[in-house]
Amino acid sequence: MSIIIIGAGEVGYHLARRLSHEKQDVVIIDRDPEKIRRVQSTLDVQALQGSGGSVGVLKEAGISEASMVIAVTNSDEANMISCLVAGVQDRVPKKIARVRDPEYSALFPLFDREHLDIDYVINPDLEVAEMILKLIEVPEATEVVDFADGLIRMVGFPLPPDSSSAGKSLAELSRLYPQSGLIIVAVQKGEKVFIPRGADILSANDLLFLVMDRKRTPQALTSFGTKHRPVKKVMILGGGFIGLHLADTLEDRGIQIKIIEQNESRCLEIAQKCSRALVLRGDATYQDLLLEENVQEMDAFIAVTEDEETNVMISLLAKKMGVRRVMTLVNKVAYSPLVHSIGVDVVISPRHAAVDKIMQFIRRGKILSVSSLPEENAEAFEAVAMETSDIVGRPLREIEFPRDAIVGALVRGSEVIIPNGSTVIEAGDRVMIFALKTAVPQVEKMMTVKLEYW
Amino acid sequence: MNPSTIFHLLGFLNLILAGSMVLPLIVNWIYGESHARGYLLSMAVTGATGLLLMLIFKKSSRELSHRDGFAIVALGWVLATFFGALPYLFTGAFTSLVDACFETASGFTTTGSTMMTDIAKNPQAILFWRALTQWLGGMGIILLSLAILPLLGIGGMQLYKAEVPGPTADKLRPRMTQTARILWQVYLLISAAQVVTLLFGGMNLFDSVCHTFTTMATGGFSPKNESIEFYRSPFLEYAITFYMFVAGANFSLHYRVLKGEPLALFRDPEFRFYLAVVLFSTLLIMANLFGAGLYKSLLDCFRLALFQVVSIQTTTGYTSVDFEKWPAFSQYLLLLLMFIGGCAGSTGGAIKCVRILILLKHGARELKQLIHPHAVIPVKLGGKILSSGTLHGVWALSFLYMVVLVLSSLAVSLLGTDILTAVSAVATTLGNTGPGLAEVGPMDNFAHLHPASKWILTFCMLCGRLEIFTLLILFVPEFWRK
Repeated sequence: MSIIIIGAGEVGYHLARRLSHEKQDVVIIDRDPEKIRRVQSTLDVQALQGSGGSVGVLKEAGISEASMVIAVTNSDEANMISCLVAGVQDRVPKKIARVRDPEYSALFPLFDREHLDIDYVINPDLEVAEMILKLIEVPEATEVVDFADGLIRMVGFPLPPDSSSAGKSLAELSRLYPQSGLIIVAVQKGEKVFIPRGADILSANDLLFLVMDRKRTPQALTSFGTKHRPVKKVMILGGGFIGLHLADTLEDRGIQIKIIEQNESRCLEIAQKCSRALVLRGDATYQDLLLEENVQEMDAFIAVTEDEETNVMISLLAKKMGVRRVMTLVNKVAYSPLVHSIGVDVVISPRHAAVDKIMQFIRRGKILSVSSLPEENAEAFEAVAMETSDIVGRPLREIEFPRDAIVGALVRGSEVIIPNGSTVIEAGDRVMIFALKTAVPQVEKMMTVKLEYW
Repeated sequence: MNPSTIFHLLGFLNLILAGSMVLPLIVNWIYGESHARGYLLSMAVTGATGLLLMLIFKKSSRELSHRDGFAIVALGWVLATFFGALPYLFTGAFTSLVDACFETASGFTTTGSTMMTDIAKNPQAILFWRALTQWLGGMGIILLSLAILPLLGIGGMQLYKAEVPGPTADKLRPRMTQTARILWQVYLLISAAQVVTLLFGGMNLFDSVCHTFTTMATGGFSPKNESIEFYRSPFLEYAITFYMFVAGANFSLHYRVLKGEPLALFRDPEFRFYLAVVLFSTLLIMANLFGAGLYKSLLDCFRLALFQVVSIQTTTGYTSVDFEKWPAFSQYLLLLLMFIGGCAGSTGGAIKCVRILILLKHGARELKQLIHPHAVIPVKLGGKILSSGTLHGVWALSFLYMVVLVLSSLAVSLLGTDILTAVSAVATTLGNTGPGLAEVGPMDNFAHLHPASKWILTFCMLCGRLEIFTLLILFVPEFWRK
C-alpha cells in the first residue's frame, strides 16, 4: 500500500520526507524534472515526472494499489482533478487536496462523498492564520499547540532573564511550587532539544515547552516571570488572504488593526470587508509610512505578504523601530531557523503548517493529533490509552518509560490532569505525550498503537 | 564526505563476502576435497576485517551524499577484489597475488578471462567459488547488501546509481530495499529456471549450477577447459544462448514481464535495438561462414554464429567453437560487438545498447540540424525527450571508454605483446567479455602476460563494470577534498 503525492514543491517534498522516514512507500509525481531530480537524489521514494492528472502517469505510479493520494501542487484545480481521477477511476480510499483559493471554500459541500469525494481539504493559508491567532492570544510564546480539542495547551516560550526560575533546577522548582498544575516537557538550549530531569537547571533564554490546562495558560506563564501584556494594537503587512482573515477576526476581538497593502483595489476590498480596521495603502519598504503610523506603539507586527524577503526585511525594520513582537511568514522550510536567529520573534511557515496538518490527518487512526516541533526533532502527540497498553493501570513512576519521552497531560472525561509520579492512567484516557524523534517508535509500542494509516 | 559511515558499510560488505565463502566450503566437504582450512582461513580474515571495520567506525546519522555513494561502491569493489582472492591464495590454486586478484576481478566483474592454464584440474570447490563470484557480481554486491539489510537507509539511491549500469537508474518500487529485493528475486528465479533447463539437457548438477551462475551474470567462467564446446550438444547451446540473451536484457523489463505485461520487452526501444543487433550480426556471420565453406550445413553455421554473437554481445564470453579459425570479417565483427554490450540494467557489460542507440540518434539529429538550421529536433527515446544532461553523460562515458581503451592497450603493448593481443585484451576486459583474439583468444588464457599487464587489465575490468565514472572519480583529487 503506497501513498502517492502529487506535486514536489515544499509541501510535497517535506511530506515525502516525513513519510519515507516513517517507512512508508511513497511515490511522488511532478512535472518539473528539476524537482524530480532533487527528490531522487535525496529521498528514498519513487519519483515520476509527469502530470498528476494523467491516467498513464498515475497508473505507472501504481495508483490501483495506493492507499492514499495527496495532491499538493500549486494549482487548486489540478489538485481537485487529481483527487477526482484517483477516486472515481481507481477507487483510492483516501484523497487529500490542497485548495487555497478562498472562493472555493464555499464549495466545500461539493467535496463530499457523492460529488468530488475528497476526504480532506487543506488550506495552508487558513492554518497559518489560525496559528497566528493563537500566538496573539499568548503573545509571549513562540509556539502554541492545542490538544484534546483545545483542553490541553502546549506553549513554547523563552525564559525571561529576570525570571525567578532562572538558575534553578527542576527539583527546586517543584519543591517551591508543588501544585503548579503544569509540566515542563522539553527545553531547548541553542539547537539542542531535551526532556529535562530533576537535576537540570533552567537558564535565561532557554526555550521552555510547558503543558497545562488551556485555561491556566496566563497564570502558568506569569509564574515563570513573563509579563502578560495582552495584545491591543496590531499592524499587519500584506492584505492577501491571511492578512484579511487576521484583520477580520482580530477586529472582532476588539483589537485595533492597521493593515498595509500596496494594491489599491485590494485595499478597497479589505476596507469593504472590515469595519474598523484602518487600511493603509503604500509601500512599507519606506520607513516613513511605518513612522507615520507609529509602528513603535504596536504590540505586534505581522508580516504576511507573498514575498518572504519583504516579510523578513520589514519585520527586522519594525523590530528595530520598537515593536514588541514581530511575526514573519517564511515559505522556505529551511529558512525558518535562520530567520529566528537574526531577531524575528516568531517565524511562521505555511508549508510547515500544511505538512503538519496533513500528517495529523494521515495519522488519525488511533493517534489523535500530532504536532512536530523545533526543526522536527521532537513530536507531541495525543493518543487514547488502550486497555492492553503497558502504561495503563499502574502509577507512572513504576512504568519504564523511554528516557526521551514524557507524559505531558491527560484528559479523563472533561477533566485535565497534569500527571506526577503517582498518577495512574486509565483505559480510555486521552494522553498527550511529548517525545524526541528517537523515542517515538518506543512510545508507539508502549501505547500499543501502531501509527496506523487509513 | 562521511568516512565513518563509508568504512562501516565497507565492513558490512566484507561480512557478506565472508558469508558467501561458506558455499565453497560446503562444496569442498561434499566432494571430500582437502582445502577446508583455506576457506575457513579466508572466511576468518575477511569476516574479522569486516567486523573490525564495523566496530571501529560507527554509522553516523548524516545522510549519504553522492560522493559517499561513489566512494562506497568503488572502494567496495576494490576490497572485494582483494578479499575474494583469499580462497585462491589460501588453497594454493594460485600462488601469486596478481593472478588471484585478476581471477577474482574477472569473477566479480563478470568478465570471464582466466589465469588458469588447465581449468579442469582445479578442485571442484575452487571452480564453484569462481562461478559464485560471477553470480554475486552480476546483479551487484552492493545491490545484494541493499536487498539483505535496509541498513543503508536513505542513501540507497546513490549506491544504486553508482553500481547499476545504464545512463539512468529508475526505481521499480518506492523504497530502495524493495527495488533491490525485486531485482535479486527476478535474478534468482531466472537462475533457477536455467538450472532446471540445463539438467534437462543432460548436464550434471554441479556443471549446471556453475554454468547458470556464469550465464545469468554474463560472466563466462566454465568449469571445463573447452567451455560449452565440451558438451557437443546443440540443445545445450541453444538453451544457454537463450539464457545469455535474457541476462543481457534489462531486468526491470523481466520484472514487468513476470508481473503480467508480456509485451514490456518489445515496447522498449533498447531491447528492440539489442535484438536487431543480435539477429543482424548472426545473419552476417552465418553468411560469411557458409560462404567460406567452413561448415557443411547452413543450420550449423546459424547455430555457431548465434551462440558466438550472443555470447560476445551480452559480454558472457562462452565459446562453442574456436572462432579464431573463422574468416577475418567474422572475427572483426565479434570484436566490435564487444563494445556494444548488453542492455542497461542487465548483468552485461561494455558501453550498453541504449548508449549506442542514443549516440546514433544524436548523430542523425546533428545531420538533420545541418539541413534545417532552425528546426527544433530533440533526441527522443521511446517517445520521451532526452535531457541534454543525459546526452552529455552518454557522450562523456563513451569517450572516456575509448580513452581508457587506448591508454591501457598502449601500456599493454609496451609490456611486450602484439597489437591485436593488446587491443583485444583491453577491449574484452573493459567490456567484461572474456576471450580476446590472438594470444588471448578463446582457446588461450591470460596467464602468460606480464604481471604489470595483469594489473592494468584488472583495473580495466573494474573500470568497465562500474562504468568508468564510479572508479575514475577516485583518482580525481577534488573528490577527496573537503
